[in-house]
Amino acid sequence: MDRFGIGWRPELAAGILCNLQDIDVVEVIAEDYLSVPRAKLRALRTLSKQVPIVLHGVSLGMASAVPVETKRLDRIARLIETLKPEGWSEHLAFVRGGGYEIGHLAAPPRTAATIEGAAKNFASARRIIGASPAVENIASLIDPPGSRYDEPAWISEILSLSGTELLLDLHNVYTNAVNFGFDPFDFLARIPWNRVTAIHIAGGEWIASDSSPAIPRMLDDHLHDVPVPVYDLLRAAGARAGRPLTVILERDGLYPPIQELLAQLRAARNALAEGRALQPRQQGVA
Amino acid sequence: MNSPLFEAFLAKIYVDAKARTKFLSDPSGEAERAGLSPEEGQALQNIDWVGLKLASRSFEKKRLRHARGRFRLPYPFGRK
Repeated sequence: MDRFGIGWRPELAAGILCNLQDIDVVEVIAEDYLSVPRAKLRALRTLSKQVPIVLHGVSLGMASAVPVETKRLDRIARLIETLKPEGWSEHLAFVRGGGYEIGHLAAPPRTAATIEGAAKNFASARRIIGASPAVENIASLIDPPGSRYDEPAWISEILSLSGTELLLDLHNVYTNAVNFGFDPFDFLARIPWNRVTAIHIAGGEWIASDSSPAIPRMLDDHLHDVPVPVYDLLRAAGARAGRPLTVILERDGLYPPIQELLAQLRAARNALAEGRALQPRQQGVA
Repeated sequence: MNSPLFEAFLAKIYVDAKARTKFLSDPSGEAERAGLSPEEGQALQNIDWVGLKLASRSFEKKRLRHARGRFRLPYPFGRK
């Protein structure tokens, strides 16, 4: 059965807790709880007794030719042991290199080296944490230099080599499609849907540099409502997905009233159900 | 392609504004001085210039936001 939830943020906590009848699951940012007082962890455990939680990491840098440091995996392992979430996820990104912390998710060169590096990092995660994360495709403002694969091929190779599942971020697909000129529906046609277990939806905005105002790019900022093209992609996902999906709405600021976010969740439920209805009867699982 | 070195170079020009300015004025020279291969130098010569400017600006905003304590991350951002 498909499930629908929201990213857990302090600003949304009251609204989420008051509307649990409409929220099947919440997604918690792991790094928000790596260095917090025990009372906050207890509060999160209490939350997990009211609604299922999944953990979402943003700082490991798994898609890199550089091995993820064991101490970082150890910290995630301890948090997972404490919270016992239903599952956890991380990004297909690199976040540091040569002593520099980039501060956010950066798209690595899509090469054989980063495919192999990612697979090794997921194997390390499996060994230390006990389970591989579901991996999420990221949005990018820059076409990663030195790439030898396009994004669907690169992601598919990593999934094949590492045996991990895919958290498919549809706003990231849309963002990269408009930034780099590919068809997002073709992207959906080329990924292994038997590995897709979760979906992110979000919004963003167009930005441009002062020196190139005529060449805007889409920024996946999670500060805006889910745009229509993302619901269209969710409908297409529903027509392709063979497994139950967990759909998470991400919102990181400029928070509207919770009812507006719940309306976006309802729109997501409708879009996915419409897509599911397009599947041949024997493949339908929703 | 020596990916660790290449990733380190990308991280440097994404984070360090002075390094980015030097790179933009002489991409192949900076790549060579960083010990990158001719193939990597060529990839950097063809870098997405618009994307580099926008991405580095976006990364800087994120680091400032983190530094202000909006999010708790395991290490301070910027050069260790």
